[in-house]
Amino acid sequence: MEYVDSLTGFRLDGRRPNDMRQIRGEIGVVAKADGSALFEMGNTKVIAAIYGPREVQNKGQQANNQALVRCEYSMANFSTGDRTRRPKGDRRSTEISLVIRQTMEACILTHLMPHSQVILIEFLVHILLKFFMYFLPKICFLQIDIFVQVLQADGGTRSACINAATLALADAGIPMRDIVTSCSAGYLSSTPLLDLNYIEDSAGGPDVTVGILAKTDKVTLLQMDAKLPMDIFENVMQLAIEGCKAIAHYIRGVLLENTKQLECRRGI
Amino acid sequence: MGVMAAVGGDGDGELVTPGELLGDSSKMIAGRGAYVAPNGRSVRASLTGIRRVTHPQPDAADQRSIVEVVGHKAHGAVPQPGSVVIVRITKVMARTASADIMCVESKAVREKFTGIIRQQDVRATEIDKVDMYLSFRPGDIVRALVLSLGDARAYYLSTAKNELGVVSAQSIAANHIVSRQLLTVTVILRYC
Repeated sequence: MEYVDSLTGFRLDGRRPNDMRQIRGEIGVVAKADGSALFEMGNTKVIAAIYGPREVQNKGQQANNQALVRCEYSMANFSTGDRTRRPKGDRRSTEISLVIRQTMEACILTHLMPHSQVILIEFLVHILLKFFMYFLPKICFLQIDIFVQVLQADGGTRSACINAATLALADAGIPMRDIVTSCSAGYLSSTPLLDLNYIEDSAGGPDVTVGILAKTDKVTLLQMDAKLPMDIFENVMQLAIEGCKAIAHYIRGVLLENTKQLECRRGI
Repeated sequence: MGVMAAVGGDGDGELVTPGELLGDSSKMIAGRGAYVAPNGRSVRASLTGIRRVTHPQPDAADQRSIVEVVGHKAHGAVPQPGSVVIVRITKVMARTASADIMCVESKAVREKFTGIIRQQDVRATEIDKVDMYLSFRPGDIVRALVLSLGDARAYYLSTAKNELGVVSAQSIAANHIVSRQLLTVTVILRYC
């Protein structure tokens, strides 16, 4: 199959090789969550909800001196063309959960979270001294839960999930190093292609997913499960990074607009 | 559309997002919502919000100013005794009506606060003849005064003043009724 038209240079869905699909982000879509966001990349639609920082539920999981980040990725049954019942925690979703968790962990300032809470205990020690205040530091560990669900899948779900999670984390007011954004790029018909859709994704060619910290220019995620010559790989990765930067620019715009609106609502 | 604080010479009042450069660590100290990057030089934002710069006292040992980012989660409006609130009635009972507080003065609340209007606090006169079911209906938007912090569950509210009472309601025939007298406050309700 010809993924890039040799005559016009257009892709199957009419994009140029370095065109991204239309992106859209919305903040505050889940009322009960501490932070939530919806992110669309073309027909891929993902919802993310953040709960926390809250106290660690499972004491065995708590890490030393930093907040615990948990992530759960799931795909809705109706998200793909054929409606299939998916078991929870299959290999694919476990892998993507892990990828998202590691990417988000890299940008959350987890060391700020082991919240040393001071509790006051009043002791009646002596009648003359009346009350003694004892300050006992009680370390309470915190965890952040990230839930991402794919509502509509059309390739690049893990990128969309990371972008949605970033927006939701920013909405939850969790301190972050930077905004982490992700975008994929592939190499089909001897052309580097930005932001693959489902048809291009299932062509079996190389698919490079990159996650970067946009302002500090650091890579937090790089995935590829194919072989590619080094010089071509660099081009493809550079294309994906450009995509990430464009998404970061958009996400910043969404965040600023949202903050402005909130300020306005509060009547400041 | 936003009413923003004036942007000062050092970027005070500016809106920032995580990762944005706030200044150099030789001139700035990172406060809340800011951090010093691993290179030890740049101070960056870690939250989305408004940038605030606090200048040091002239005689302070450290002459660097403190930069912090005040996020939108940082301060939410909290009802206090004496403040006028806008509430939505959730449940009407024989002696009380419970309500969710939506706005405190002109600010929308972030988290959920519940309030109770007791029978004796509905109006100033003939307080023993008040019929709660004729006074309120679930869904009514009411302007009320916070009497006290109440019990552990809810604030005690009062509508016993001329300027207080139902602001906007829906009749059984689903017609929208807006109190003419209290119309001015509905401007705020657009955001709730």
